[in-house]
Amino acid sequence: MNEPAPIVFVVDDDDSVRRALTRLIRSAGYCVECFASAREFLESHFHAWSTACLVLDVGLPQLDGLELQHELNARNRALPIVFITGRGDIAMTVSAMKAGAVDFLAKPVSDTDLLRAIGNALAHASQAFASRIELDSIHGRLARLTPREREVLALLVEGRPNKQVAFQLGIAEKTIKVHRARVMDKLEARSLIDLVRITDKAVIPHLSGDARSH
Amino acid sequence: MTIFFVVAVTTLFSALLMFQHFRRTHGRLVSATGKNLHLNRGPSRRARAGRSAGIVAKRTDSINAPDSCSSPPGTRCASHARSAAPCAGRARRTAFRNDGDRDRPESRRAGTARWHADARVPPPDEHLPGTLQSLPFAVLLFDSRGHVSFANPVAEKLFGYSQGEFIGTSSNVLVPGLQDQLQFHAASPSLGVRIKSTASTQDRVARRRDGTELPVEITINSMSSGVERCAIVVVVDRSERCELQRNRQQLAHLTRVSTLGELAGSLAHELNQPLTAILSNAQAAQRFMAARPINLVEVQEILHDLVEDNRRASEVIRKIRALAKKGELEAVPLSIASVIEDVALLVHSDAIIRGIRVSLNIAPGLPAVRGDKVQLQQVVLNLLLNAFDALECRPAQDRVVVVKATHDGKGSTCIAVSDRGRGVADDMFDELFAPFVTSKRDGLGLGLSISRSIVDMHGGRIWAENNRDQGATFHVTLPAAATREGACTREQP
Repeated sequence: MNEPAPIVFVVDDDDSVRRALTRLIRSAGYCVECFASAREFLESHFHAWSTACLVLDVGLPQLDGLELQHELNARNRALPIVFITGRGDIAMTVSAMKAGAVDFLAKPVSDTDLLRAIGNALAHASQAFASRIELDSIHGRLARLTPREREVLALLVEGRPNKQVAFQLGIAEKTIKVHRARVMDKLEARSLIDLVRITDKAVIPHLSGDARSH
Repeated sequence: MTIFFVVAVTTLFSALLMFQHFRRTHGRLVSATGKNLHLNRGPSRRARAGRSAGIVAKRTDSINAPDSCSSPPGTRCASHARSAAPCAGRARRTAFRNDGDRDRPESRRAGTARWHADARVPPPDEHLPGTLQSLPFAVLLFDSRGHVSFANPVAEKLFGYSQGEFIGTSSNVLVPGLQDQLQFHAASPSLGVRIKSTASTQDRVARRRDGTELPVEITINSMSSGVERCAIVVVVDRSERCELQRNRQQLAHLTRVSTLGELAGSLAHELNQPLTAILSNAQAAQRFMAARPINLVEVQEILHDLVEDNRRASEVIRKIRALAKKGELEAVPLSIASVIEDVALLVHSDAIIRGIRVSLNIAPGLPAVRGDKVQLQQVVLNLLLNAFDALECRPAQDRVVVVKATHDGKGSTCIAVSDRGRGVADDMFDELFAPFVTSKRDGLGLGLSISRSIVDMHGGRIWAENNRDQGATFHVTLPAAATREGACTREQP
């Protein structure tokens, strides 16, 4: 897993604030790309970066910060967001955090707070990237299973013994053993527990709808 | 000689009445006394000997009316004619009383005794004092040296001097700077009595005997009869009018401050932005300085931005202060573009919070407007915030306010503030600018009324109309600096 350098996006409509934030974040050694509006950001290739976070002003004209967050979630392109605002209130903060924001900071923001929040956000991003890579690999492995092997897998991870699986699928227990060995081999699982863990990862993100791993 | 002076005084009196009338009807000063009321020739000796006072009064009318109607056209002439009628009646009464006095030498002596005892210039006429005594406003006569030679009771009351104390007092003591304004035209015995209004009416500060000051309006007329020369100065107390103006300014100031209060959150945000930039820049600089090698280019840019952001913050404070300040009106040539831009800056973040886009459309090369910047900003601020309010509950695509500034080619500057709200109800148009009329839940109803009085003072016009498609537009026109007349402050001579 060779992870590329992380990038920090800054969206603020105020030229001098945007310039200052960009400078501050760059002084901490991050790559920064800035945008003057939410639209400009949405039209960029922000999603091409594997590890990225967004420093987002709430009070943007037209499409504001919270709306941009919803838009990203809706497009399934969510990335960790550090909100900054000149006039935050509790409702605004709660709404942003519920929608998955990493932090919510008040302007003027101190460098330690901002850089800590960016560090956290990038850690989230990198974690999400890692799990996405793993998930992609699991999906690739699952795709190699035949329909019969999938059926066998589904019953095995429910904890049923070979005999029951054979009975339920109406085939010989011997055949089930062959299928089971193939499934373990294809999914690169060393034990039944490993198998359960792998299938869990593959299924749970889809069920919970965690938008961060797509 | 008596009759000459009855004529002269009557003329003066009617001029003053006209002046009063104008003050009442026009509210602000129109110089009715600016033109000469000049009796070319007094009645002949034969008339003085033979004619009754009634005939004289008639003659006054006939001399006066065409003279006063000669130069100003239309309505002004009509006003003069109205005020001429009571003059005649009053003059007739005065004349009769004067005739009665003729039989009572004691009372005549009492009258003349009021004149300066050892004045080098003898009283212009023994009946003049009697007439001036009865005038309902302060009249002072100054001799050619600028000393008081006569004061009527109203003047005594206004200035707090007794008659005896008045006589011989220098004009500069009563009204500082008056001496230079007193003009005495050359004595010309052949021309008889002449009253000449030489100066326009002026705003001055008068000083009472106890040293207190009061704002007054003075009108100076020079008068001569034979070799006698004196100046008649009419003094009108302006305290009440000043008080009224002060109250209006205070009200405007109060609403301005309350508007600023409503905008406090937005204004704080306007200040917070440069502060944010300053902090982040400074902390970035600290980090760059800690690194080796130091990136000097970056540090230089930061320092430049620090200065800029500091300036920006001070500018916001300056604008808030300017709007909150409680100053005297000042009329200076100013750029409407900067008035609008300053206000747009103040409401910038309020607009963002409300999700409103403000679009400025200012024509290049607008002529300068003469006026008070703060007050005109208040008008634009009112109109903008009203437009914002009108857009409440409107869909996002309608949340636009357009401010246009153009010139009409005839010297006037037009400002139009358009919204895409619900517009003005038909029955509201008439009372839109009346005080305490509001369509807002928690509005005071003073914004538009104050805006109108400000625009009026600037010699402009304000009105509203509904847009053809949607919403309303408020228009303000202001005359250009050069062509403007009679606006909020009058030029001092």
